[in-house]
Amino acid sequence: MPGFTPGLAHAPITPFTPGLQIDFGLFEKVIEFHLRHGAQALALPMHTGESVSLSDAEQRKLVAFTIKAVKGRVPVIAHVSDAGTGIAADRARHAQDAGAAAVVATTPYYWTPPPAMVLEHFAQIGSAVSIPFFVFYTPGELGATKIETDLVLKLLDRLGNFAGVVDASLDWQFMINIVSNAWRVRPDFQLVSGTEYMVSAGAVGATSMFSSLAGVAPTRVRQLYDICRTEKYFDARPAQEDLAALRQIVKRAGAGGLKGALRAMGRECGEPRPPLDRLSAGGYDKLAAELGALAVLRAEPRGW
Amino acid sequence: MSISLRGVMQSPVTPLKADFSPDLPTFERLLDFHVRTGATAISWPHHKGESLNLTIAERKAFAEVAVQVVAGRIPVSIHVSALAVEDSMELARHAQSIGADAIIAITPYFWLPSVDAIYDYFVRLGTSIDLPLIAYNSPSYLAGVEFTAELTRRLIERLPNFIAMKEASFNSEKFLEISRVALALRPNFSMIAGVEFLAPSVPLGGAGSYSSAGAICPNLCTQLYAACVAGESVRARELQFKLARLWNLFRDQYPSSLKGGMVVMGRPVGPTRPPLPTASKERQAYIATQLAELGILETEPHGW
Repeated sequence: MPGFTPGLAHAPITPFTPGLQIDFGLFEKVIEFHLRHGAQALALPMHTGESVSLSDAEQRKLVAFTIKAVKGRVPVIAHVSDAGTGIAADRARHAQDAGAAAVVATTPYYWTPPPAMVLEHFAQIGSAVSIPFFVFYTPGELGATKIETDLVLKLLDRLGNFAGVVDASLDWQFMINIVSNAWRVRPDFQLVSGTEYMVSAGAVGATSMFSSLAGVAPTRVRQLYDICRTEKYFDARPAQEDLAALRQIVKRAGAGGLKGALRAMGRECGEPRPPLDRLSAGGYDKLAAELGALAVLRAEPRGW
Repeated sequence: MSISLRGVMQSPVTPLKADFSPDLPTFERLLDFHVRTGATAISWPHHKGESLNLTIAERKAFAEVAVQVVAGRIPVSIHVSALAVEDSMELARHAQSIGADAIIAITPYFWLPSVDAIYDYFVRLGTSIDLPLIAYNSPSYLAGVEFTAELTRRLIERLPNFIAMKEASFNSEKFLEISRVALALRPNFSMIAGVEFLAPSVPLGGAGSYSSAGAICPNLCTQLYAACVAGESVRARELQFKLARLWNLFRDQYPSSLKGGMVVMGRPVGPTRPPLPTASKERQAYIATQLAELGILETEPHGW
């Protein structure tokens, strides 16, 4: 399974109607926005797309809908994580049947299985499909279960389609350990930066990036990614700092921050589903004011 | 009182005799070795120097030797962190009295101090002396107690002598949040990676690193820094991978494995004080095979 590089994969939000159902009409606009503004792939529904708040049927429908709407213009990477291995593997099969270019999965939700069962979890999901399979490592969200180099090497041994790791740990030693060891076995193994902290990730070997902030500042995200791909990391620092500033503002606003930021950019996309808190009116005003003070957003598109 | 901290700075281990008593003559040789092999500053005793296993009197005696032997060739900073804050204050006064160039201090041990308590501690420490102050951030070793960007900002605004941070989170977001604030307020502020994670930190404004492996492979450390500042990304990555492999080797039973490696390199510095283990003959033999595999035995100095 050589040669699949996601590139800059935008990770869209999932818009909901006022009744908190997926708003597919608006989602089509979301997809078109990302395709017009620099996405080289789409990865969805990631956690920023509220995957864990979608039913299995909704996740399947969302992926199938996206693939149909994208019409092959960019690869679609389906996020299939679940608590149960069998559920995630079935969702991966469905994504492949629907035409996904690759699948990605985290360590299991809630459970903290022993290392041999974490390996089994990934091996079963990966072997359920023949398209490239990525492991998503996000210990900040799923703290207890760790991924070690040994697990990655065993997975490489078991899965011909194990294409890489999407890193949201931001941990330098983890990234270096994984990629330096994996490259000895599989030279086209991909380290994918799971967030916009691409300078450090790129410097140690990341070639691709997942970006949720691309919904807010797609121009700057693309600039950061493109400079990093030339490996001129000093030149990438201003864009990196702009996006770090944006990320901190969105993060401080809480769970509703990303959708609030999109709204502030003229891209209304509803509220997050419970149990995530929606932004209060005061919270939105503060967020919008902070975003308004960010010079970098003046060059970004408004509206859909 | 102005000093510049850039490049690969060495924090020497603490030589001990077979009976675990201080070995000051070997410490003198070690300091001289570091200065001759390219250290841009000396800082002692970091945790690698078994700071917390030395009495306050022993720390003062070693500190005096460090200042005398280095003799102004490069800056010497003294790590003053102790379990009791009052001891840290005493060590800081002592550092100033013997002519040290700076002091360095971590957030207080054991207690989980509030942000305001950390602020008060550093203000008290920093205003008690007329020396530059380096702060030391190590959240993973101190149960998440850490410097935030906001705390860093407050301290820079309060303390004109707060000139640098040893940043040992090894995390893109944490490093960048502190560096963005610090470098905007104080452009000469030195962001120093806790060990030689130079490839991911130099492009973000990192000034250099303290060194884990400098007593083993000073040439490799210097080459990595040179590649990073020259923007030679591919070479920097290769060298970084090699140093990361050494960090994996040495951080297991740190710093006893490092002392074991120094035996292999012809620079024995004695045992490690309990509760840390001393590298056994078997461990030393294993380290020797790893150093041979990495080519360190051929490319780095042997003996003093």
